[in-house]
Amino acid sequence: MHTQDFPQLASIEAIEQGFESFGYICSPKIATAVFLAFQLRKPILVEGPPGVGKTELAKTTAMLLDVPLIRLQCYEGLDEAKALYEWKYGKQLLYTQVLKEKLGDLLQGAQGLAESVERLHQFGDTFYSEEFLEPRPLLKAMQQERGAILLIDEVDKSDYEFESLLLEILSDYQVSIPEIGTVQARVTPMVFLTSNNTRDISDALKRRCLHLYIPFPSVALEERIVLSRVPDIDQQLRHQLVEFVHSLRDLDLKKSPAISETIDWARSLLLLHARELDAQVIQSTLNVLLKFEDDINTAESALRELLPRPAHG
Amino acid sequence: MAEPTQSSAMQSHLVNFIGLLRSHDVRVSPAETLDAMDVAATLGYARRDRLRDGLAAALAKTPAEEAIFQHCFSRFFDQRLADFSSTREERATQTGEQEAPSGPEAASMPKGDADHSAAQLLETAAQTDADLQALLTSPLLRQLQDNDSAALNLAMGEAAASVGLSQIRMFTQKGQFTRRMLDAMGEDQLRRTLVRLDQEDSPALEPLRRYRDILREQVRDYVERQYLLQAEGENARFMDDLLRRTRLSNLELRYQHRVQELVQRMARKLAERHARKRRTYRRGKLDMGRTLRRGIANDGILFHTHWKRTQKNKPQLLAICDVSGSVAAYAKFLLLFLYSLQDVLPKVRSFAFSSHLGEVSELFAQHPVDKAIELVNWRYGGATDYGKSLQDFARLALDDINSSTTVIMLGDARNNHGDPQLDIMRSIYQRSRRVIWLNPESRRAWGTGDSEMPRYLSACHFAAECNNLTQLERIVDQLLKMNR
Repeated sequence: MHTQDFPQLASIEAIEQGFESFGYICSPKIATAVFLAFQLRKPILVEGPPGVGKTELAKTTAMLLDVPLIRLQCYEGLDEAKALYEWKYGKQLLYTQVLKEKLGDLLQGAQGLAESVERLHQFGDTFYSEEFLEPRPLLKAMQQERGAILLIDEVDKSDYEFESLLLEILSDYQVSIPEIGTVQARVTPMVFLTSNNTRDISDALKRRCLHLYIPFPSVALEERIVLSRVPDIDQQLRHQLVEFVHSLRDLDLKKSPAISETIDWARSLLLLHARELDAQVIQSTLNVLLKFEDDINTAESALRELLPRPAHG
Repeated sequence: MAEPTQSSAMQSHLVNFIGLLRSHDVRVSPAETLDAMDVAATLGYARRDRLRDGLAAALAKTPAEEAIFQHCFSRFFDQRLADFSSTREERATQTGEQEAPSGPEAASMPKGDADHSAAQLLETAAQTDADLQALLTSPLLRQLQDNDSAALNLAMGEAAASVGLSQIRMFTQKGQFTRRMLDAMGEDQLRRTLVRLDQEDSPALEPLRRYRDILREQVRDYVERQYLLQAEGENARFMDDLLRRTRLSNLELRYQHRVQELVQRMARKLAERHARKRRTYRRGKLDMGRTLRRGIANDGILFHTHWKRTQKNKPQLLAICDVSGSVAAYAKFLLLFLYSLQDVLPKVRSFAFSSHLGEVSELFAQHPVDKAIELVNWRYGGATDYGKSLQDFARLALDDINSSTTVIMLGDARNNHGDPQLDIMRSIYQRSRRVIWLNPESRRAWGTGDSEMPRYLSACHFAAECNNLTQLERIVDQLLKMNR
């Protein structure tokens, strides 16, 4: 992908603005990383707690560039047949049957065995050819005409072997298929890898990527995010609810509320016509923010300290 | 910024910065160094916050590394420009003149009156003195006179590179490096002229001497900063190195915490390198060639499909640790290592013994490390009886030993002249893939007194002396490699 084709990524400011127009408010750090990934043609490994918008980043970039988003969800046991390519066995089998029937016509008039074999060789080896190749996400991303965003989601869930499989793709943007050869990407795709840090990613993989750690956003940034997603909400309430979510994140919770949950909560408050945060509103809507019974209990017992002070003026 | 000299100087700064990161235990590969250069070239040096974010993306690969990166970045880049203007202000106020403009733009501004008079004084003196004239036209003096802090900093950076300032490790080296840097910057010419002017009692002496003092002060500060930057990480690494090489029994208690960290880091590293996940038997890919070949017998009808299977052997590790009094000092660390290894490798079973033997895997799994080690010592500590312990081991685990099992024995083989039960050791040897004996005693001591080591050696694939962390790491690394 080149800058002239994608002026959306020509500068860091352009990226920030572009993302914002799609409702993705990002910190300068994120925009810098995307800019560099594009300019240097490097994959980005995005890490951070769940729900801070790692996957969303890739989706928004795809929207911004108007190129297809090709997503590969990783899981334990994911192998190259599901990630890279597979042979169309059914068609291959059919092909052998057809070939057998046509064999008589093909060898008609051949003098002796030697000539028959020679004719067979002339026939070409279509058995392992691109027609019989079923591309899976990784290969598909290489074949896109206009480039693509390749999202390798939750790479930490895959096996170590799979990581080594990724190395060739990430450093050279090519795929080796033993029966055919190497397939080079038509247009270098932009690659996002996300990880929730359930295990350490190997050094070899990290070395090939730019690393972006997205933490929970600051209060100001999160307010902007809520504003862009739930524009109708009252400013006072918006501030209060974001402050409250931030104080929840300081508690010892099994799962801290993520940005998506803040947005959901803001929407719920809007639906309930809440004007201000008070104990009753919070208690009745806490299940939107927190997904574990224990967490809800913890938050409820700490509610008194967490409750925003009554607003002045 | 596009000036070639400046960008190459920035590049060498960047390399120094990466060196600094490395000394703070951030692993940066040469490929990442190149990435960092690309990043800097793409982003430019104009916006520091951008450069910081960009370099962080290329160099720091974990949140912990990023924290170190931020710390190093602010210390390294923010202090890079030495402040020549402060001394300049001082000079201006000394002579009672108006304060001269400071900051990087000062160089391009018209010179202050104070400088002007000093320059005039020097120039008049130089008219009759060819030597002084030559000195004044030298780049160093010009930069000092113009107060061109950017150029002077550049010169200091170059001088630092040429004398290898980044190698500074000890505070005793500071004076020496300052001297060598000054020489590299061409201060000797200035020094010689000063001596001569002093004898002649020239009026140019005073302004010239001031320039020299400014220069010296700045270089001294520069060296000091470099020392602080370099030595901080280096000292920690030196300490780690030392601890690794010290005999485990000699390690003092106060370092134990640190050793614990080291051992855990080591175990994690080893496990990462050798991790094998348990995997169920997979159907695998269709093997077209074989399927066709099988079909030939049925007149080309593909009756049976043939699948390429991927079978992984599942290495199993059994570790037996002697915790008796004779090896108490080692045992503590060996247990620590076992504990860490079990933490990071999927199939480790740990056993401890002295007079009798028991499995401690569960203990390790349930308790935090300190508590677990204490419990093991309490439960299994005492006088050594290898014979009885091997019997216990055979009862507990002999049936589980197969061709993919590795057995590690950690102990000194001192059996208090009891029955060594060599036949059990033999059967372990025959069944397992590998038996490895790590003995904390030096090889020369094997077989002396009540040591049964030579006899047990016949039932080991590999035996080694192991009494510090480096040896331990090397051996376990080898062992895991063989295990694949």
